[in-house]
Amino acid sequence: MPKTIAFILLRLVATLLAITFLTFAMVALLPGDPVDTILGTGPRTPEQVATIRSDLNLDDPFLIRYVSWLGDALTGDLGDSYITDQPVSETISQRVPVTAQLAIMAILIAVLVAIPIGVLGAYKQSKWQDSTSSAAVQVALSIPNFIVGIFLIWLLAVQFNLLPASNWNRISDGIGANLQTALMPSLALALGTAAVFSRLVRSDMIGTLQENFILSARAKGLSDRYILFRHALRPSSLSLMTIVGISFGALLGGTVVIETLFAIPGLGFSLINAINGRDIILIQGITVFIAVMFILINTVVDLLYAVLDPRIRRS
Amino acid sequence: MRQRRVLTALAIPLVFAFVAASCGSDDSSSEVSSAPEATDANEDTGATEDTAPTEAEAEGDVDTSVVANVDEVVMGGSVVMGLEAEATGLRPWEDSCASGCYNIMRTIYDQLMEEQSIGGYGPYLAESLVPNADFTVWTMKLRPDIAFHNGTPLTAQTIVDMFPIQQAGAAGSSAISSAKVTSVTLVDDLTVDYTLGAPFSAFASFLAGAPLGMPFDPAAATADSAGYSVNPIGTGPFTMQSRDIDNETVVVRNPDYWRTDDAGNQLPYLDSISFRPIPDEGTRLDSLISGTVTAMQSLRQGTIRDARAESGIELIEYQGNSTGGGMYNTAIAPYDDVRVRQGLTKMNNQEAVIEALGGTGISLPTTQMFSSDNPYWTQAAADAYSGFDFEGGKALLQEYIDDPARSDGKAPGEKIDVELSCPPDPTLIAAMQVIEQVWTGSEQINVSLTQFDQATHINNAVSDTHKAHCWRWGGNGDPASVIDPFVADPETSVANFPNFVDPEMQAWAAEASATDDFETRKALYSQIMVRINEQAIVWYSGGTAVMVAHEPNVKGINNWTLPSGELGTGIPDAAVRWQEVFISG
Repeated sequence: MPKTIAFILLRLVATLLAITFLTFAMVALLPGDPVDTILGTGPRTPEQVATIRSDLNLDDPFLIRYVSWLGDALTGDLGDSYITDQPVSETISQRVPVTAQLAIMAILIAVLVAIPIGVLGAYKQSKWQDSTSSAAVQVALSIPNFIVGIFLIWLLAVQFNLLPASNWNRISDGIGANLQTALMPSLALALGTAAVFSRLVRSDMIGTLQENFILSARAKGLSDRYILFRHALRPSSLSLMTIVGISFGALLGGTVVIETLFAIPGLGFSLINAINGRDIILIQGITVFIAVMFILINTVVDLLYAVLDPRIRRS
Repeated sequence: MRQRRVLTALAIPLVFAFVAASCGSDDSSSEVSSAPEATDANEDTGATEDTAPTEAEAEGDVDTSVVANVDEVVMGGSVVMGLEAEATGLRPWEDSCASGCYNIMRTIYDQLMEEQSIGGYGPYLAESLVPNADFTVWTMKLRPDIAFHNGTPLTAQTIVDMFPIQQAGAAGSSAISSAKVTSVTLVDDLTVDYTLGAPFSAFASFLAGAPLGMPFDPAAATADSAGYSVNPIGTGPFTMQSRDIDNETVVVRNPDYWRTDDAGNQLPYLDSISFRPIPDEGTRLDSLISGTVTAMQSLRQGTIRDARAESGIELIEYQGNSTGGGMYNTAIAPYDDVRVRQGLTKMNNQEAVIEALGGTGISLPTTQMFSSDNPYWTQAAADAYSGFDFEGGKALLQEYIDDPARSDGKAPGEKIDVELSCPPDPTLIAAMQVIEQVWTGSEQINVSLTQFDQATHINNAVSDTHKAHCWRWGGNGDPASVIDPFVADPETSVANFPNFVDPEMQAWAAEASATDDFETRKALYSQIMVRINEQAIVWYSGGTAVMVAHEPNVKGINNWTLPSGELGTGIPDAAVRWQEVFISG
């Protein structure tokens, strides 16, 4: 077990280094000079250009810039945005709770929707209930979440005036007010995720339902519902747990479109603004943060997996 | 409308990562403006220019007229305004400001000068602005008894102390350079002299907006510059209550504001305004329709078209001086040859392009950098602009193609290679395809289309790697602010994007900046517009339409006045002046 953990942690460090390097390289390779973006099309003096180049270390070789940035990043200093003057770490810390809330709500909704659908599909395999739920899942998988978002705005805000079309109420404004603004974007994010989850639950559950202990439970006369949810669901949830972890990490970086659509001040919204303004320090900071979170969450899932599954532990 | 919305949505993933909200762009709007905000002064400024009276009204079926308020004013109430983009910062000397930003900034800061519906600029925080004979020294007197939100009085010393901060600021230093200001000196408690490095009759326009025309408290700005962005202090009608960046900025009535209306009512009328950045055009409109916000702005003609189709909301539209179109980089072949430029422009079907941009009936066709309701618009420039003439264009291109000394180095008879680039806005892509279709149809041109995100698109023009390039021309300012940088030597002026050097045009521009006689200036700028059209340096599509849509009970958006009682100009750039907005019963 310690060997497994050590290997996972070593892999984590290597991956993080690779990610930070690639992110830094990609931002550096963006076409155009960031100085031109910052100064715009107005008059400029050579001094202004020199100051910005110096502030951003743009005249240093790439590797020196990377190492210097990495050194600062390891101490928690991701730099200051050149556009807003705000420390990047402060921007991230303000935005993470919003995006994390959306991701958590989306995952919760997805799990709550996916389990009954997946269980039903497995229990009624090849019957009309299974075909119908499979078709619905297929549709949900093929609709991009921003289309779902646009439809929800039209339905719940414009037609029925049940929820606000945009805006974000912070939790400090009250849980009710917060949920009012969080529900629609979470639903938009949850639909596709729920479809993936339900397929996974269904396939795992089909395998579990063929296990001997299920036959034994049936032979004991236990009700189908009891067998499904008390005996079959837990062993069928291992894959789901893995994918929940991965999905959470993916959602942290994948809410860009939904946050922009619903005007929600999360990480994705901030990232888009940074890209549009070529705020390279902020782009680097947010991208690396998202990547690191993704890797960390997956590492935690790997570790949990190792704890829960003796076969992995032994391997 | 809903169908369009879904179709638009299909394009969102392609566009989202690259859209310039920023910066306040329109449909034609993702094209890029080159002009700072500014215009001319007139006699109300203390005698600067003899400007011709004008109605802020456009041609065609677009009503953009400005009229005095006739509704009974009601005190109190709140407005929630949906903006196209967040203000990156609220420091006039430091942060660049576009449409969304100006909506917020003008609640916090008053301007020294303001635009008037009769043309030119009138005093606002200033009591007068008077130039010397050659327009190199401008004496500004402030109104007495005006204080910042923190109680600090606004004096001439404030203006003097602001200057070094503006010189050091990212936005301020550029504006100081454009306005040619070399020093600001104290004359008395309320009077300063602005000394310019060259005659500049349009200087007053620079005091009608950020970064030079919005007084701030220099002591507070020096003490905490970053903090000032979040808690700005001005003399404006509202004070900052809370600023949650990218979410909501709330300003509340300044109880000590210095202005009253004609009836003696204390301004502003509203208790508070919440500004919410909602970058998605459809969501912003849906937010208004569903009551999530009570007003919204848009700089996209597609949104104007959709908003017109909605009932239960009212629209105020504005046709400004910005126009869509593009330019040729005349420093490189084959665009260095006027026959190619003229040929391509003649084969540019303006009406079809406007239709592709979704602007038919919204965006008026343009022929120069002034809209047809602008006093500087001239028939001579309009006549010099090449209309759609396919055969005429073919003949010119054929002349170039057959020329053994053609500039692109190809053999006579070979097709011309043309690269047309626009930002990846769906309507712009559609417009590009319209142009490509006609150009390719001539069987004389190999057309390649490219799209880059807005920032890269601008960078390509700044770094002179562009070819045939979508761009936005003009601006709601004095012609000098648009034309001076455009005709200046490209070695010194980034804004001479076409890299076209014409000493005559430079001389005309300099002459226009050295006089305040309207007719003389108009004639000079007309000559420049004619030359630009004859040389086919740029092409035009349609004027940039903008709008503010609102619930019917929100009044006063289009009826704001100057302290003199003169009507303002409505909503240039979809930026509202909020001090006279109210909620009717």
